[in-house]
Amino acid sequence: MPPPVVELESLRVRLGNREILHDISHRLGVSGTGKAIGLLGPNGAGKSTLILTLLGFHRPAAGKARVLGYDCRRQAFEVRARVGYMPETESYIADMTAVATLRLMAELSGLPPRTALEKTHEALFHVGLGEARYRELRTYSLGMKQMAKLAQAIVHGPELLILDEPTNGLDPSARQRMLRMIREMKENQNMNVLLCSHLLGDVEQVCDEVVIMNEGKIVYECNLEAERRSNRCFVELEVTGDDTGLGAALAGIGAEGVAEGGGRWRIVLEPGSETDVLWDLLARENLLVRKLTHRRDTLEEIFLKAVGRIAHTPGEHGQARE
Amino acid sequence: MAVYKRGYSRYRGPVRGRWARMTVLPRFAWRRLFQQRLVVLLVAISMIWPLVCAFMLYIGNNVELLTGMRIEPEFIGFIRGNGQFFLVFMSVQAVFALFLAALTGPGCIAPDLANNALPLYFSRPITRTEYALSRLATLSGLLSVVSWVPGLILFAMRSSMAGSPWLRENWRIGAGLFAGFLLWILLVSLVALAGSAYVRMKVVAGGLVFAFFFVLSGASGIIKLVFRSDWGNIVNPAWATRRIWYAMLEIEPPAGPGVLACLCILAATMILLALVLKRRLRPVEVIR
Repeated sequence: MPPPVVELESLRVRLGNREILHDISHRLGVSGTGKAIGLLGPNGAGKSTLILTLLGFHRPAAGKARVLGYDCRRQAFEVRARVGYMPETESYIADMTAVATLRLMAELSGLPPRTALEKTHEALFHVGLGEARYRELRTYSLGMKQMAKLAQAIVHGPELLILDEPTNGLDPSARQRMLRMIREMKENQNMNVLLCSHLLGDVEQVCDEVVIMNEGKIVYECNLEAERRSNRCFVELEVTGDDTGLGAALAGIGAEGVAEGGGRWRIVLEPGSETDVLWDLLARENLLVRKLTHRRDTLEEIFLKAVGRIAHTPGEHGQARE
Repeated sequence: MAVYKRGYSRYRGPVRGRWARMTVLPRFAWRRLFQQRLVVLLVAISMIWPLVCAFMLYIGNNVELLTGMRIEPEFIGFIRGNGQFFLVFMSVQAVFALFLAALTGPGCIAPDLANNALPLYFSRPITRTEYALSRLATLSGLLSVVSWVPGLILFAMRSSMAGSPWLRENWRIGAGLFAGFLLWILLVSLVALAGSAYVRMKVVAGGLVFAFFFVLSGASGIIKLVFRSDWGNIVNPAWATRRIWYAMLEIEPPAGPGVLACLCILAATMILLALVLKRRLRPVEVIR
């Protein structure tokens, strides 16, 4: 059976006198499955510390961390040979072209020189820097530097791609391109991805699993697709016609509805229900639909609930609490 | 198929061993260094003195060329290539090595620190020690070109002209030249790397290399004057190195601390510089 992508056993990490990660035990993902794990959390939650510990940059004070089955401390060499890391901050080697930098990185990862050069060109064309590949990295724009960082992370064909805020500083179209490339990495190249981001939309678009950290602990883990399916659907409805029997009819399909007058309703469908059942019901009740909007629990609401900022999804039970 | 048409595919082939990977950083660094005109110029200038020495050795070992010239017998002995000759050669080349280290050393680590490149290196299968050793090898390799390599060529030239009896009697000069230069290269490289690791501006880091030797030389002079003792020389690493060279080349040493004391102080200095490097070469800075 393939090992988990990340396995934490009572992991504690101290930086100076402060304990940043408190006794975390968790298993994330399955290696070789081409799935993406999102790492979410407010500032100071310990996401970056966790990533840096997985890379062997920080030494655990207690417990163990394994990546792809290798111990991050004792087998750091094995871990790093299988991981591609894209740091959050601007990182480049001065006075070197993109080609030279990527070739150097590929050769440091153990690729033979000729293959390293081939893979360098492939990676740079793949991220859209083909035409600028002989320019020095310091002359690149912020967006180009982000792409170059992704290219250096994938040039040696890692099993696990660790991306720390990959869409920082990108304009909307570049951001979409970056997210598309990350999706391609997992779907077409079968790479596992560990994505750390503040942008919940990015995580929502790319990841299959989400882990939420707060105050140095993992407070929530969910399978995003299952979460989306199980979430309740909130509907705002406006109809014309006699809607006096609608409340009882809604109860018949397991939904709750509140009439606001003038044909306006607020309805909560039961978990797993789609709006199709509502359309059928309204047709049976001979009601003419003037407006129907619906939404589900967003990742933002899941996140806010997990870190304790809100107790319920806004609109749920007609109450919202911050 | 053209690369731009081929698209990206993940590499799944064999990877090279650890030692092969260790050569990658020096190889790339040398390529970059020799693209700098100033470095090439300085290396070329550093070759002038070895050429002059080679000329002197040739003259000195061809007696017929000296006939008719009124030259002191001691000078003839000198240009024929004795320990003193090689000491002078080493002293001049050591200065060039220092200049070269000050010019190229800061470019080894300072830009990586300034541009936050260390996480890129250390997320690969390379340790901090390997990174530091690779940088040391880069600098040592470059300094070797102007120090023991021409030195041993001169020694070989002298041996070939004087014959094997001379070589049997004076092989210690060759060994001393090689070991003495290695000691100097190691010291100068460590100073340059430590300066490069502490100061992110290349110019300042280069100045720090000279400052290290000048300040300690000045301090040694002050100690000598105040305490009226030759032991003040011990704090001057350049003097200490030179004192070891005297012993290696079997020349009458100057007054002051002995070889053992000099070796100890140089070892302590190098350990200190290595610790400075170890402290600075971190993939991430932790604010405690």
